[in-house]
Amino acid sequence: MLEKMTSNQRLILAFTVSFVFFMAYTAIFPPKQLETDQNATAKSATLKQSSTDVASLGANSSESELGSSATAARSADDAILTTLSGANYVLTIDTLGRIAQKEMLEKKFFDEETGNAKLVAETGAKPLYIRFADKALNAEAIKTPYTSSLKEANITEGSVSVILTQKLPQLMVTKELKFYSDGHYNVKITLSDDVRYYVYLGMHPTFSDKQMMTVEGAMVDTGEHLITIIEDGDAEGLTSYNNVNLASSFSQYFASIFYGIDKEITVKIDKDRDDNPVVYMEGMKEFAFNGYIGPKDYKILHAVNPDLVNAIEYGWFTFAAAPLFQLLMFLYDYVGNWGWAIVLLTIIIRLVLFPLTFKGMVSMQKLKEVSPKVKELQAKYKGDPQRMNAAVMELYKKHGANPLGGCLPLLLQIPVFFAIYRVLLNAVELKGAEWALWITDLAHMDPYFILPILMGATMYYQQRITPSNFTDPLQEKIFKFLPLIFTFFFVTFPAGLVLYWTVNNIFSIAQQFVVNKKFEAHKKAKEE
Amino acid sequence: MIRKLLLKLLTVYQKFFTLIGYGSCRYYPSCSEYARWQFENNPLYIAFPHSFLRILRCNQLFKGGIDYPLTNKLSCKIKKDKIAPIKYWFVPKGDKQYYIIKNFSKGKSC
Repeated sequence: MLEKMTSNQRLILAFTVSFVFFMAYTAIFPPKQLETDQNATAKSATLKQSSTDVASLGANSSESELGSSATAARSADDAILTTLSGANYVLTIDTLGRIAQKEMLEKKFFDEETGNAKLVAETGAKPLYIRFADKALNAEAIKTPYTSSLKEANITEGSVSVILTQKLPQLMVTKELKFYSDGHYNVKITLSDDVRYYVYLGMHPTFSDKQMMTVEGAMVDTGEHLITIIEDGDAEGLTSYNNVNLASSFSQYFASIFYGIDKEITVKIDKDRDDNPVVYMEGMKEFAFNGYIGPKDYKILHAVNPDLVNAIEYGWFTFAAAPLFQLLMFLYDYVGNWGWAIVLLTIIIRLVLFPLTFKGMVSMQKLKEVSPKVKELQAKYKGDPQRMNAAVMELYKKHGANPLGGCLPLLLQIPVFFAIYRVLLNAVELKGAEWALWITDLAHMDPYFILPILMGATMYYQQRITPSNFTDPLQEKIFKFLPLIFTFFFVTFPAGLVLYWTVNNIFSIAQQFVVNKKFEAHKKAKEE
Repeated sequence: MIRKLLLKLLTVYQKFFTLIGYGSCRYYPSCSEYARWQFENNPLYIAFPHSFLRILRCNQLFKGGIDYPLTNKLSCKIKKDKIAPIKYWFVPKGDKQYYIIKNFSKGKSC
């Protein structure tokens, strides 16, 4: 179909498609409004209250029927045993001895509809849940609530120890937990008898409005940091891993991680009803390991354990996105603003490409010799601009003074662009990162469309002053419309990406301006 | 198989992405055209490195200009019942190699 259309029709089609896409996108995902601070604190207050209210520890989850399926862990209405309040989160432990929830209180994670960001799925397996291989024992365990050594504590600093015990008729389960303020914890599980059981890593909440190209699912890092990722919806069945450095169940910004696991321990990934991966590991009579639950923040993870940074995942393009993030973070440490870090990055890329542009400028010198001939050609083909252009190009080539930029510098931009895109979507540091003026979230689209329009305008201007080589007038027309198409296309992109492209355009313009000025000067010098 | 996939990718590139930097190639034929001619006439292990090097060459450190792909085998894919229109001209270069030049004139098939 596309073949039969004229270029004009194709252009109209491209327009319609991008316009429809834009309209549909804004209809489905309206720009989010920022909440007030009070709202967030009020929320946390009510949460605390409700958790302290729960004094009775009734075993009210008895109706859960436990099959051997991995999704068996029902959350029904299990009472909260322990509440730990950190600087910017509230972590709760329920009567099944699991991390019932971790709620982030930071403003940037607040969502109008779903409230504060919750790190554990309402249904499905929760972190530290123990399932016994023996069904009868398991049914017993679900009816029997844990008891806790601690009801409430603040961990804004240092660490807090919690001892959870469950007394089953034939078995005694002890979980010694030590929570640290940064989100990691030590676990020591002791059983009075040697029975087979599994410890669950927990499921992350899945959002229906999951953004395109974000990566969510489970990962295991085995042996010499061989990383296996099973994305949500792609789990195919039970797989087992040994020699695991870390196992992670992650969403766009958060992760629940087990690490410091004994090499002998088998980590298993099963699937649930929706083909999402469910991670658990086989326990021992005396079982110690470490865990982390919280944002995938590079510095926090690195401080806890340098290996944990492997849990930060940008999708298949990680090999380029991860180093790019390192560079951005390095720049951020100097300027203290992610937006300016992106601007600096643009400058650095320009500097790397400078030998090329410099060479291009030098070749402009050679145009000196050619300029009288150019004038000649201009006179010769006065009524036929196309032939004139072709002839001028031919002349440039003959004298080795080619003003065109070339494909390489342009193609190099594509991976950089894509890597930035990936980083903006998946790096928690850039979530809610401000730049200046109206840009309050670089990872989100510009709510006022100013940056995309600026981008289109700079692109248009750049096109106007950059020499190009057209043979087909229709293609030239399409080319002229590109800034408009790009503006529409970029409307929904993260503001940081549009910022990068805009700044890039501005530098291109400045550079071209210098080159053009030089060219003009030579021309004038020759005329005089 | 791989060749077909790569050519499909090239088509997509030429239709959509090339517009970003349209008309900035320092060569004739342009890099993507060059790659297409390479892949249509040479085996993958020749076409791939040549196309790759061509893109690397396409920057301000090189002169640019006319640069046709080369081949050293003449392919004659004549279909059974009809003779296809001319797609490429092979212009000899020395004894063993040929320039590959695409036929753009839409004349009758011969």
